[in-house]
Amino acid sequence: MIKLEERKASIQPIKSKLKVSILDDQEISQINQNARTVMEEVGVKFPSEKALKIFAEVGANVDFENQLVKIPADLLDKYLATSPRSYTMAGVRPDLDVHVGSGEGTYFYCSGEAPKIVDFETGERRLSLKKDTANHARIADYLPIVSLLWPSVSASDKGVTSPIHGLEACYTSTEKHVETESIMDAVSARYAVKMATAVAGSEENLRDRPTLSQLLCCIAPLAQDRGGIEAAMVFAEHGIPVGFMSMPTLGLTAPPYPAGALTLAMAETLSGIMLTQIINPGVGNYISVNPGIIDPRTGVYFMCSGVAQITNVGGIQMAHSNGIPSLACHSFGGSQYELGNWQAGYENLYSHFLAVMAGADMSFGPSGMYEAVSLLDHPRILFDREIIQVIDEISDGMEVNTQTLAFDMIKKIGQHGSYISQKETAKESRTMWRGESILYEDGKAEGRKWRDPVDVAREAISWILDNHNPEPLSPDVKKELRSLVAAADVDEDLQKEVLGR
Amino acid sequence: MPDDFYKKLAQAVIDGEEEDAVNLAKQALDQNLDPLACITNGLTKGIQQVGELFGSGEYYLPELIISAEVMKSAMEILEPALTGDQEIEVVARVVIGTVEGDLHEIGKTLVATMLSAHGFKVFDIGVDKSAEEFISAINEYNATIVGASALLTTTMLQQEKLIKNIKEAGLGDKVKVMIGGAPVSRKYAEQIGADGFAEDAISAVDLAFQLADAPV
Repeated sequence: MIKLEERKASIQPIKSKLKVSILDDQEISQINQNARTVMEEVGVKFPSEKALKIFAEVGANVDFENQLVKIPADLLDKYLATSPRSYTMAGVRPDLDVHVGSGEGTYFYCSGEAPKIVDFETGERRLSLKKDTANHARIADYLPIVSLLWPSVSASDKGVTSPIHGLEACYTSTEKHVETESIMDAVSARYAVKMATAVAGSEENLRDRPTLSQLLCCIAPLAQDRGGIEAAMVFAEHGIPVGFMSMPTLGLTAPPYPAGALTLAMAETLSGIMLTQIINPGVGNYISVNPGIIDPRTGVYFMCSGVAQITNVGGIQMAHSNGIPSLACHSFGGSQYELGNWQAGYENLYSHFLAVMAGADMSFGPSGMYEAVSLLDHPRILFDREIIQVIDEISDGMEVNTQTLAFDMIKKIGQHGSYISQKETAKESRTMWRGESILYEDGKAEGRKWRDPVDVAREAISWILDNHNPEPLSPDVKKELRSLVAAADVDEDLQKEVLGR
Repeated sequence: MPDDFYKKLAQAVIDGEEEDAVNLAKQALDQNLDPLACITNGLTKGIQQVGELFGSGEYYLPELIISAEVMKSAMEILEPALTGDQEIEVVARVVIGTVEGDLHEIGKTLVATMLSAHGFKVFDIGVDKSAEEFISAINEYNATIVGASALLTTTMLQQEKLIKNIKEAGLGDKVKVMIGGAPVSRKYAEQIGADGFAEDAISAVDLAFQLADAPV
């Protein structure tokens, strides 16, 4: 077990020397062409008067009655051209900035916004509370493998302003970049912008180094959420990056083929990106494809199938082919596995390995989620971390050069010798054995009883919660956030906007 | 002045710098420094610190072994210069080897290195050693502890034979036998009448201190 000690937050993107691609150039071109034909001939539903007007003003074919937007390919490409391939998602400190698309590697999210949590003290499965969000944000802040985060669970004790409270809990508990995916109306979005502005210091700072981003889930097939897209427009206006996630369920909300599912995914995400670029050319975007299938025997949603993995890697390639950064969303707490199930381990391993090998700019990952991202268990994040550390190691590949071919050493040692007393062995043992496991302690000599990693993880989480208390904000900014959240709590417009939908 | 010199010697061991250690040892003799003091205050202090660094996880096995080899090289220069009445203080004298029919070396060597690093005088007789060869070494080196390693279920039976032979040779009261190796267990050690069993090099040191009846 590595020594847990007090430290400031840091982030650790993973850059892979190993590469994987599912689609070749011709296949990418075919899917892109197909998606553009779908956008032009079938269209995407934007159930927002404001969005429809914006599309109409730039020359898209808009059917106001059916809220349908049909986009000619050249018009789409004109607006996609301003969406940056690289930009910054800012943390409180510049060394915590996520340089999206910079080639520094894959940045991992702690994400989720699950409705339930395993109570850390009692083990009871219960609805999650605001304090749980804050606690998990502190844990994520402590772990370098987490580069940016969402509120990991819903603040069910805060009603309709739960997403706003979730943001407050994160902003006051981590120095890392914070993203929302649950703010799904324009009124809440304006509160979120004010909060992000307070954290950034000014509107100008916020545009320069956005301390907030939004992930918006599209509605498959070929539609956007009214509140969500209106929130996205508010965020885009203020320079806050907006990512679009398509969630095609093959054979249910998408064709039963990965290529067809990716066609829909591109139509949904690229049309949304176009809207944000019309509003604010140059605002950051990303594409995420989160495919699933259903269990054909029961109809249960299944997130982490092999075909979903293929589709996801294809989605990363498709995003990049359009000059847009990508967020891999393979598993992150995946399918129907239960607490402690072995499935959690292997799904995490192959899905995140594929993400880094496919060159995803970001990936969900170390989150602590179970049961299709509906249940958070704090200690689980350490198991996620463990797996991603291994991926980090493997994805480095190997170096072949005069030193590593080691002819001189082989000649010196000859037959029957040992390489253990070589200085190079001493040096390289630091990289071969990274010794960074939190979970696996050295066995105790007496009786050689290895401790259950679950127990070790619980101890580590206790330590972090007891000792890691970042203070990312000044008292004045905290006070400002508090008053904004208090105002949101009593805002009748917000209530109407959320409950009226 | 000698204090600085001892520190340099210790540091050479800690850093695993064989050339430095050997040069310093030669320099010590050239300058007529007391070789025993150089060993006790320099090399031994260095290797003790290496043991501590290893115990705390800061050093890995390669560093430990490199340092032990550096110490050995320097000792080869200083030891012959000791005068007749000078004796290096040791915790105990240990004969260690892998039993007959077994060619596995690494585990045994690690234990030997760790014991050396903790002040034991270790005589490593190598691999594939018969009970007779062990007994001959015990007598030759006047050892009070024997470490016998076996890595195979077939060769672990030789550990029992060794213990039996030691008793038959009348050395049962004089030497304590500790055994180790992948197939060996504490229960097996008790069963064959060994004085102790250690699972790894670190616990072997604790065990050797117990068998030597010396404070750890």
